[in-house]
Amino acid sequence: MIKKHHISAFIIVVFTVLIAIIASAEFRKQKIPEALYPSKGLSSKGMLSDYFAGIKDTNGDTEVYFFDSGKPGATVFLAGGTHPNEPAGYMASVVILENLIPEKGRVIIIPRLNNSGFTCTDPMEAYPHGFTIETGTTSRRFRFGSRGANPLDQWPDPLVYVHKPSGQQYSGLESRNLNRSYPGDPDGTFTEKVAFAIIQLLKEENVDIAYDLHEAAPEIPIINAIVYHEKAEDITMYSILELEMEGLQYAPELSPKNFHGLSHREWGDYTQAYAFLMETSSPVQGRLRGKTNEELVLKGLSKNYKTAKETEALRIVYRDEGEPLEHRVGRHMSGFLAIIDSYNELNPEKQVKVSGLPDHSDLVENGIGKYLNNK
Amino acid sequence: MKKQTFKFIGLIAFSVIMFSFTFDSVQFEQPVLITSAGQSADVKLVKLLASRQKLDAETILMARPADLGNIKTLIIVPGFSSKGLGAAGISQKDEMKRVEALVKAANESGIPIVMMHIGGKARRGGQSDGFCRLIAENSKTMIVVEQGNEDEFFTKISEDKEIPMVSVEKISQAAEPLGKLFK
Repeated sequence: MIKKHHISAFIIVVFTVLIAIIASAEFRKQKIPEALYPSKGLSSKGMLSDYFAGIKDTNGDTEVYFFDSGKPGATVFLAGGTHPNEPAGYMASVVILENLIPEKGRVIIIPRLNNSGFTCTDPMEAYPHGFTIETGTTSRRFRFGSRGANPLDQWPDPLVYVHKPSGQQYSGLESRNLNRSYPGDPDGTFTEKVAFAIIQLLKEENVDIAYDLHEAAPEIPIINAIVYHEKAEDITMYSILELEMEGLQYAPELSPKNFHGLSHREWGDYTQAYAFLMETSSPVQGRLRGKTNEELVLKGLSKNYKTAKETEALRIVYRDEGEPLEHRVGRHMSGFLAIIDSYNELNPEKQVKVSGLPDHSDLVENGIGKYLNNK
Repeated sequence: MKKQTFKFIGLIAFSVIMFSFTFDSVQFEQPVLITSAGQSADVKLVKLLASRQKLDAETILMARPADLGNIKTLIIVPGFSSKGLGAAGISQKDEMKRVEALVKAANESGIPIVMMHIGGKARRGGQSDGFCRLIAENSKTMIVVEQGNEDEFFTKISEDKEIPMVSVEKISQAAEPLGKLFK
């Protein structure tokens, strides 16, 4: 009888250890970034820690890709993945990274700005760990992460997060939000150190135009919008008129001077750059989304949002055909190009020119896979 | 027969008087003051359209009655923006009070109001409609981008209040009717 118990106990222990090993392996996989395949326009590659050694060998460090035409001109900085649970921002930066040919000036891209956020998902949100995009000959898997940095990199959250140096107060959760942490602090938290490194990059590389790509829930007022620093007002207005000619509606939103820590505010205040933050409408971000899976990430179809829109109880920006990823990425692509065009029109003496990039109509027609490299 | 002739002449005279009245009522002169109702940045787009039409126009986001001075036409761009209100550092209630005071002062001074709603759906419904209704009902003419009038919100006001309205498909197309108001 006792022997039987020993056998049962042994089997349970072995089974538990096996489960633990598999779970650990799965968990550790989250820290392995998927491969990205830059275009032939890539001139060099560095790390964010090159601008602030305080983040070296941490999860805050991330790849920086340089596309230098070799011809004088303006410098563009593009950030994807500030919030790794907003996939169109990340994927737009990947599509640009894998297709861009610089013709004049240079472009600097960080696809995983909040690298730590790609190593986990937000608790209680039931987000998928990733999504797959077919490229025609093969498929590519991409991480879906969390809004903030991984708690393993910065813990515990304070009750109240006090932004430096403004003293503005946010909920404690926002202490891990990179987009509430600028201009950062070299002696601060993990997230503040990453933010500090990014500001150093913008300054040292003399960035002229800086983009931060995001997504937001259909019920949020700031969607399908370009949020701009007041320095960038003319460029924004010109861009919105240009985008409208493509059939894309964008709302201009002026960055509030008293809303601190955000890229569109602090990048503009602390550096010479014209700062822009672009938002799409993404059901997977919303509170009404219902079943949260890879299909929702890719197709953006949600019965709940359709119903909510029809009730007219809330202002919901949702199309009956859904908000598919190629449409959302396409909006970022066209926004990226329109801002460059407008900048060039207003700054003819210091232009930046790029080629090889698909726009919104290309992405909607052909899908994202067509613009991803296989090696 | 005579009665019919008198009626006909009377009708013609009435039409001429009404036409003159209508004609007078849509005369807009410069200088122009452009302001927002709801602090959306759409006002900056209207500023750009006005400059492309070479209008003598000044833009004051938070215009108040004292800013009307020698202004001959007031263009108001309605649309709520939480970021815009945040940038201005005011509440929606305070913004509504400001706009109501401005509209009242313009009406009392005989300064015609042109409403330009160019923000489409993003500047309709919810917190935007209070501003849209106030400005539309007090305007002498309206220029509206179609997408913001899919529910015929502005069309109904135009018909009920007999306010001329020009509807355009795109923001950039609003420049031409804007320019024509001043020619």
